[in-house]
Amino acid sequence: MAQQPLYAGFDLGTTNSAVAVFDGQHTQVIRNAAGGAVTPSVVRIDRAGRVTVGQRARRFLEDDPDNTATEWKRLMGTGKAVAFPAAGVSKRPEELSAEILKALRADVADQLGTAVERAVISVPALFELPQSAATSEAARLAGFARVELLQEPIASALAAGWRADDDGTASWLVYDLGGGTFDASLLETRDGLLRVVAHDGDNFLGGRDFDWAITEHLAAELARQTGVQLERKDPSHAGALRLLRLAAEDAKIELSRSPTAQVTLARPLVVGDRELDVDLALSRATVEALTAPLIERSLAVCLRLLAGNGLGPGRLARVVLVGGPTLSPGLRAQVQARLEATAADGLDPMTLVAQGAALYAATAGLDGRAAPTAAPQGKKVWLQYPPVSSDLTPHVVGRVVGADPPARLRLERADGGWQSPDAAIGPDGGFVTMVSLVPRAASTFRLVATAADGAAIAVDPATITIVAGLTIADPPLSRTIGVALASDHVQVYFERGAPLPTRRSFTHTTVETIAAGNPDSVLRIPIVQGEFEQAHLCRLVGTLEVRGVDVKTTVPTGATVEVTIELDRAGCLAARAHVPAIDQVFEQVAHLLVPDAAPAALDAALADQRRHLMQVRTDAFRHGLRELIDKLGAVEGLLASAERDIDAAHGGDADAGQKARRTLIEIDAVLAEADLARSWPELDGEAHEAAIIATGAVAAFGSDAERKLLDEVLAALARARRERDLAELGRQLRLVRRLSSAAWNRNPDAWTYHLEDAASAIHEARDLPAARKLVDAGRVAVAAGDTDAVRRAVKQLWALLPVDAAARKKGFDSGVR
Amino acid sequence: MLGVAVTATTREIEREAQKLLAMLALGVGDAGTYPSAAGPRPRTAEAVRAAAAQLRDPRQRLLAELTAGAQPTAAPASAAPTAAAPGWADALRRTGWGPR
Repeated sequence: MAQQPLYAGFDLGTTNSAVAVFDGQHTQVIRNAAGGAVTPSVVRIDRAGRVTVGQRARRFLEDDPDNTATEWKRLMGTGKAVAFPAAGVSKRPEELSAEILKALRADVADQLGTAVERAVISVPALFELPQSAATSEAARLAGFARVELLQEPIASALAAGWRADDDGTASWLVYDLGGGTFDASLLETRDGLLRVVAHDGDNFLGGRDFDWAITEHLAAELARQTGVQLERKDPSHAGALRLLRLAAEDAKIELSRSPTAQVTLARPLVVGDRELDVDLALSRATVEALTAPLIERSLAVCLRLLAGNGLGPGRLARVVLVGGPTLSPGLRAQVQARLEATAADGLDPMTLVAQGAALYAATAGLDGRAAPTAAPQGKKVWLQYPPVSSDLTPHVVGRVVGADPPARLRLERADGGWQSPDAAIGPDGGFVTMVSLVPRAASTFRLVATAADGAAIAVDPATITIVAGLTIADPPLSRTIGVALASDHVQVYFERGAPLPTRRSFTHTTVETIAAGNPDSVLRIPIVQGEFEQAHLCRLVGTLEVRGVDVKTTVPTGATVEVTIELDRAGCLAARAHVPAIDQVFEQVAHLLVPDAAPAALDAALADQRRHLMQVRTDAFRHGLRELIDKLGAVEGLLASAERDIDAAHGGDADAGQKARRTLIEIDAVLAEADLARSWPELDGEAHEAAIIATGAVAAFGSDAERKLLDEVLAALARARRERDLAELGRQLRLVRRLSSAAWNRNPDAWTYHLEDAASAIHEARDLPAARKLVDAGRVAVAAGDTDAVRRAVKQLWALLPVDAAARKKGFDSGVR
Repeated sequence: MLGVAVTATTREIEREAQKLLAMLALGVGDAGTYPSAAGPRPRTAEAVRAAAAQLRDPRQRLLAELTAGAQPTAAPASAAPTAAAPGWADALRRTGWGPR
């Protein structure tokens, strides 16, 4: 086993992939067998079933496109397989990614003689949970024993930060434009700690869109010359368009270095019975004009991110540009000008992510080398310490395993310059001590253990190494996650920004019976991701299912279900439901897939949204809502973009179908917001009323802390009303209600009111006699002053009251509330 | 939760959080509980991470400093409005209470 640690980071990109390693002192980008720092994310499977990856496979994109796959990253988690007809096989996107990872892993083994077993793999910050899960699966298929996923912008910042010498507080923006995704992340460094403040992005904006913009321009030029119009919706044009797109991509790269490029193809394009010679001139100015709207779209995301965090252009210490498209001089200039910030120099945008991932592997203690199999030399000690630390005096916590632990233990720095005081080992074998690091270097410490009589005792491990450097705070969750309820509301489990890893449990009640043994009886607990209160506006990312065939006995309506959701550092989700009545646990999360994007379904959704838009717009004009009319203008553009992508989906482009699906969800959200905007006067009145009620409740029953908090929240509420900020008004209204409820809960009579409120609706209860009994029991408890009994009766009563069937259907058919 | 003073620096907070997370991971010492005004409370790794994350955000840190001296105690002695007080029964539904 090599003496130095080997931390490996993999950047699994849409177009290109890369691997870098870090030995505790330096990062090194591993070159592939062809000498390239990046490996094209291309896989070919030939007639004999032989798999070729990287540059060798890329050459076949032109000649054998049917058996050569690329850009499957955007299909990760969709379950959509890619066919290789010559070999008669099809592969899921994660299997193709596994082939790339295997090739990169082999490159490391060839050059460093070590088979990497543990590593960090980067993923886009806005990857949905199924996409992250598919990436982990790819790593497993590639033979890794353990991987951690890291959001790409964090990796980039870590790589850029590692080279930074400034110790003060500064804000950075990572502008990461990959082949298929765009991420913008706002970060802050403070005292050597790197914190991700927030991020935003577009999961379907990347270099590929730039290539398509250029391709469509070239197709229009070609139509002008030849009269043949190539169209993405026509499957018979797919081959010619693919060739034109490859030529466009090459021309785009050439234009990064020179002002003009000539687009020529070695062979004529075959379209039907026509052969078209391609020889077109392309200038940098033309490409800049064609891609400017796409860059503008990315900048709008950046400015929205800055504004959301109280920053404007000119307030950034630096911009870190990541991804192949950022090599374009026009893009660099446009980004720097609009954000009024200088891009960090000396960084390779193509390998920055892999380098950052390798650095992160060090902070996560993920040494890529195989774990030693030799027998331990001495008493085993479990240790917890930060492998990389910006704090020069971090803690080392340990626990000696087994009987007769040493009496004391100290750590001695290998350079002889420092040693810790003797730490007493507690009765549980545990100890806590601090160590002193050498600034900007790796420090190795010997563990020196002694018995009560002073005799030395060997321990395993005998040494540890800690690197002094920039560390990152726990990564924040990119989108709020919760459970959709039968009322179409969301029970939020984790707010956006929550530090990962995390875990949370809530108790729900069932709204339908789960009949034991019945295969049609399934209770669904939908898990959704998004920032909306209404479940149907969020994205369904998984469903926990409790099936009739799996339960030991029938579970009645109103039964308790304890749901626990866990997220690891990369946002990968695990969930389980415990049903106490039958003492069974269900952990199967079904449908962890990005929803299907069938062209016919997309057509229907598009038509539906057009109708909705017309309705909202008519209303907006009638009421003179100018702001809303402006917003609806943007929806027009989104609809046009969705239509283009649906056309391409009809032509067989599954990726465009997924893009259209996402655009339609965005449109749905804007239209829902527009619906809310129409009811502004009503919402405004509600906010006013809630403020009055909260003030009364908190004044009567609140604590001092709640009074102070309410003052702050009311100020924010007033600001949102003044600025007519609908989203903010909704958020503050939630806070006001929460405070109001918390205070109100202390009212000894609160549950009496709930009882009478529920009693007024018992004619709707699904079991009227049971409901009457509960009301009677509750009233007896009120008379006896037994608050706990009143609360129990009210909760059981609530479980008997029906949910609205239409709302439940919208809430992904949730079986809980 | 973290056992740090109101005046603690960012670095001191991070160091304490790192120590507590390590102690919780190995089950060392009495890191599993912390004292509060309402008696000992369980301390989990998730709660430590959330507390440290909250204090990293300057705005939330300020709020935590403001409220640090005013921890909730038992129900205040203010007179409760009676059930017949106008508007209170309806207030429940309006403030989002109730099953639906």
